[in-house]
Amino acid sequence: MRKYNYSLIAGLIITAFMLAVTITAHFWTPYSVTAMSSMSKNLPPSAAHLMGTDNFGRDVLSRVMSGCGTTFFIGMCTVVIGAVFGTIVGAVTGYFGGILDAVIMRINDVLLSFPSVLLALIFISFLGTGKYKIIIALGVMFIPSFARIVRSEVIRIKSQDYVKSARVMGAGSLRIIFVHIIPNIRVSMLTAAAVGFNNAVLAEASMSYLGLGVVPPEPSLGLMLSEAQQYIFVAPWYALFPGIVIALIILGFGLISEGLRGLAQK
Amino acid sequence: MKYLIKKFIALIITLLVISMLTFIAFSLIPGDAVLSRLGINATPEAIANMRAQMGLDDPVIIRYFRWLAGALHGDFGQSMRYSTMTVSQLISSRLPVTIIMAVMSLIIIALISLPLGMLSARVSGKWLDGLISQVTQVIMSIPSFFLGILLTVVFGLIFKVFDVGGYVSPDKDFWGCVHFLILPATAVALPRIAMVVKYLRNSVVTEMKKDYVRTAVSKGAGKRWVLYRHVLRNALIPVITFVAMVVAEILAGSLVIEQVFNIPGMGRLLVSSISTRDYPVVQAAVLYITAIVVIINFIVDALYQVADPRIRNA
Amino acid sequence: MEENELLKVRDLTISFPTVSGMHTVLDHISFDVKKGEIVGIVGESGSGKSMTSLAVMDLLPDHAVVDPGSSISLQGRQMLGMSEEELRQIKGNEISMVFQEPMTSLNPVMKIGRQVGEPLRLHTDLSEEEINARVIDELGQVGLVGAEKLVEQYPHEFSGGMRQRVMIAMAIINNPSLIIADEPTTALDVTVQAQILNLFKKIHEEKGSSILFISHDLNVIREVCQRVIVMYKGHIVEEGSVDQVMNHPRHEYTKTLVASMPDNAADTASDKVLVHVDHLNVYYKLRGGILSGKTGRSQILKDVSFDIFDGEIFGVVGESGCGKSTLAKALAGLNKEYDGTIQTNGLRPQMVFQDPFSSLNPARKIGWIMEEPLKLRGIRDKAQRKSMVNDCLQQIGLDPSFADRYANELSGGQRQRISIGTAILRGEKFIIADEAVSALDVTVQSQILKLLLRLQKEWGLTIMFISHDLNVVRHMCRRVIVMYKGQIVETADVEELYDHPRHPYTRMLFDSVLSDRKRHNVKFDSMNRLLFTAGASTGGCPFYNRCFYRSDECRKKEPELLDTGKKGHKTRCCRLAK
Repeated sequence: MRKYNYSLIAGLIITAFMLAVTITAHFWTPYSVTAMSSMSKNLPPSAAHLMGTDNFGRDVLSRVMSGCGTTFFIGMCTVVIGAVFGTIVGAVTGYFGGILDAVIMRINDVLLSFPSVLLALIFISFLGTGKYKIIIALGVMFIPSFARIVRSEVIRIKSQDYVKSARVMGAGSLRIIFVHIIPNIRVSMLTAAAVGFNNAVLAEASMSYLGLGVVPPEPSLGLMLSEAQQYIFVAPWYALFPGIVIALIILGFGLISEGLRGLAQK
Repeated sequence: MKYLIKKFIALIITLLVISMLTFIAFSLIPGDAVLSRLGINATPEAIANMRAQMGLDDPVIIRYFRWLAGALHGDFGQSMRYSTMTVSQLISSRLPVTIIMAVMSLIIIALISLPLGMLSARVSGKWLDGLISQVTQVIMSIPSFFLGILLTVVFGLIFKVFDVGGYVSPDKDFWGCVHFLILPATAVALPRIAMVVKYLRNSVVTEMKKDYVRTAVSKGAGKRWVLYRHVLRNALIPVITFVAMVVAEILAGSLVIEQVFNIPGMGRLLVSSISTRDYPVVQAAVLYITAIVVIINFIVDALYQVADPRIRNA
Repeated sequence: MEENELLKVRDLTISFPTVSGMHTVLDHISFDVKKGEIVGIVGESGSGKSMTSLAVMDLLPDHAVVDPGSSISLQGRQMLGMSEEELRQIKGNEISMVFQEPMTSLNPVMKIGRQVGEPLRLHTDLSEEEINARVIDELGQVGLVGAEKLVEQYPHEFSGGMRQRVMIAMAIINNPSLIIADEPTTALDVTVQAQILNLFKKIHEEKGSSILFISHDLNVIREVCQRVIVMYKGHIVEEGSVDQVMNHPRHEYTKTLVASMPDNAADTASDKVLVHVDHLNVYYKLRGGILSGKTGRSQILKDVSFDIFDGEIFGVVGESGCGKSTLAKALAGLNKEYDGTIQTNGLRPQMVFQDPFSSLNPARKIGWIMEEPLKLRGIRDKAQRKSMVNDCLQQIGLDPSFADRYANELSGGQRQRISIGTAILRGEKFIIADEAVSALDVTVQSQILKLLLRLQKEWGLTIMFISHDLNVVRHMCRRVIVMYKGQIVETADVEELYDHPRHPYTRMLFDSVLSDRKRHNVKFDSMNRLLFTAGASTGGCPFYNRCFYRSDECRKKEPELLDTGKKGHKTRCCRLAK
């Protein structure tokens, strides 16, 4: 192919940039994240405050930078929980089939027909709010969708002759699943992970916005948006920047998953 | 027909399982309904009395069936927060707005994404297709509540054609309500429009590569003939399933968007009930929303059957 | 323009842009098709034969580049450079096409009647009633019974052979002057193939259309065509009457194409029974939904018994769906749903599969793939494994550097070599080759068969050779079983079976195989007649519906596999029991 995979490249650049910002924020932000100042309330963007200040005079850029950290942390943890358990569940049910597979997939189908935000809200009403509870809720919810993708790929590949050939040679089931099959579904798994990351980011932002997610003083982009909405006509920039940053993070991973799909089709 | 009956039985079982699970889960949550009603200073005798009266001493399964019997008659019990209102009254006052908004979003999605998706497929590989796919990718990335905020700023602050506080309930002025809901419905619809456009486009492009298209071309069919008489129906089959997902997404989107536009619908009821731990309401709201989602899935299954003869005869 | 000239192709040159510049797939091709003539184009995959047909039909992919010096003219009119609308008027009207894959070439959600009538709808002003009448008439013409009902059905309700008939009806409904048939029988079973070829001849006689018939199979071409064009790597290498080309091939490629199969000269088999199968019944599990709770199993193989001797090549033949692959799976331990006896003397049978593109793991290098059986044998020493893989690669005729490649860098023949090598490296002496050469080009096929024969002798292998191709089986095997609907219907030594087939099904198979036709000299119309006459058989002989010699007695009792009196020749037919 002469064509470059522009989606993948653009996605990687955006994501790398956002990650760099997040890591920087861990060590340094232009201003203190929590320092309030009645002198500098609701200032529009300027050289001193690139993204302006909020109602308490806090620097929006610094808050956005540290908010990214929470977003990435929650997204990554969710993906890890979902991917690890989802792979195990999907691979085992897909490979062995049978009653267990039918039951688990029926449950999966039901869970998957619900939008993630709604399911997360239901979880949260049991668990209560807070960063780690969000991670558990979103992570558990991500398992079925990941399991389904892994399962359908495993089913597709297990009927391939090279898998039969491995069975005929006497390779054990676990060896076939993890040594012969899984390497062939890496791209689909990466794509699913990128999509799952986006769903997690979106769900976290929505829930924090509704006041049912991350609890202050933990910085969160969704929380900032809900605060900002009260001052939307006074300080629109306070809503604008966190929103744009959420969109950028999601766009980055969206482009990556798009690009990966293109790779898989080649 | 047999297929539909099977699916219908599965639907009933799904609803029962979900309601049972939510009931049991909520009954396990620490925080006693009696205490919240009588206050912390209640005497142990009063608490015991109240418990017996509310039937809380029975095993959870018995209580579930009691609740289920009530629910089947539309009786979900009493709200804890609004002591004067039953749960069903609360929900029936909130549900219509949410449904109106969801239907509006769905209409907007259908009106815009079908033509746009077909256009994008027809010019696939050309610059216009590239442009559409870039724009949809960006729009898909914007959370709908942020879109809602942006729309209020643009139409409320800059163009001044939208009154943020102008909500009227549909009982009082139906068209007034619809008018107010245009903006929130658009905010919910936009990201999903992007998804449907992309999905439809890819589906059409995939179908265009199939052998039967080549057959049609070899018979002398022109581009439009091939696209509308052969490809469209095949391409819509996977889209139908996708639309079921989109409807669920619309519901979820409206839950959040109601907060942005201050609309007193199911979403705000659910959110506020969760934060105030008004569990009878949460339970009923969850059941209602899941019922809607499951029923829509059932309808989509039926549609799917109509569209695809291979499933119909299976 | 000559009077009987129909299609004239001159200097047709087509190329595709690739990373390394333009890749030419057709290089100055020139040929004619005259009115009322059947011309065959033969060649292996990549020879450009399909590209030629697509070019004539204006179905080339968008990125194909046609050289400006090329010319395709239909009855004197230059087609290259015509407007889209002019070409649309020709397609489906003056030229029509039948494609290879009947399973995917029909629109799955459109009724058969509408699809067949579409050329009329596109090119004539006939009313819907008139079109419908023509469609029903034409479906009858191509041998489909009950056309009034068929028009209301959808493609998935039809078998492959029926769909191909539908495609042909669609192609002839407008009485085109030229029909292009691109490998129209390749995806079909031999008996169905014979019927479809016969149909083409009938259409040619009745309608007088010219046919451009494209195939990889010289026997098919010989059966249908008057003149043949041989293509190789984008060039026409030979052209002439079918007899002339078949009997006196001039070009090297044509010679290899015509050349016969390798012969299993040395009979190395001993008297020792290596594999013993006795009263084997094999099932497939059917899983109902959770709600219905039904779990059943359907029987695929019924009461199969045979022995394979050490060192022999044992043939299994039959149409698709006869259970030959199920038998292979049961023997290899891939299907455990069986009762009866399978004794393999402690051997773990290794398999070589049909599809070279799915039999090697695409995520792994060849070296890794070939080391896997060694690891499973418990050879821990990495250096030893590597050197064994090296040796094996040389044995199977490949350079040791192949160990560092991925499967997608290899050709079909090379992949099949790797599969064979991997099976041998497992160190077991019994190999099941399930249609191992069916997906390969004829010339590659004979190379792989030679390799198998050589390895069989050198390593003392025993091979169960499963194939639908009677010619190949004849040249490879010592003894053969013929399967039909999960049963052995006949078994004998290869010479005995081919010279004196006893079961009507075996005879029908042989009659369908074109190169053997003249010997048996059976009328094809009789086979056509029987195709759609009967419903499902209940009890009695499973072959009853298709049998040419059936009598009422066949319906009463299922025949048993009985000795014919000749050494080892058994058959399952009522006529013999009498």
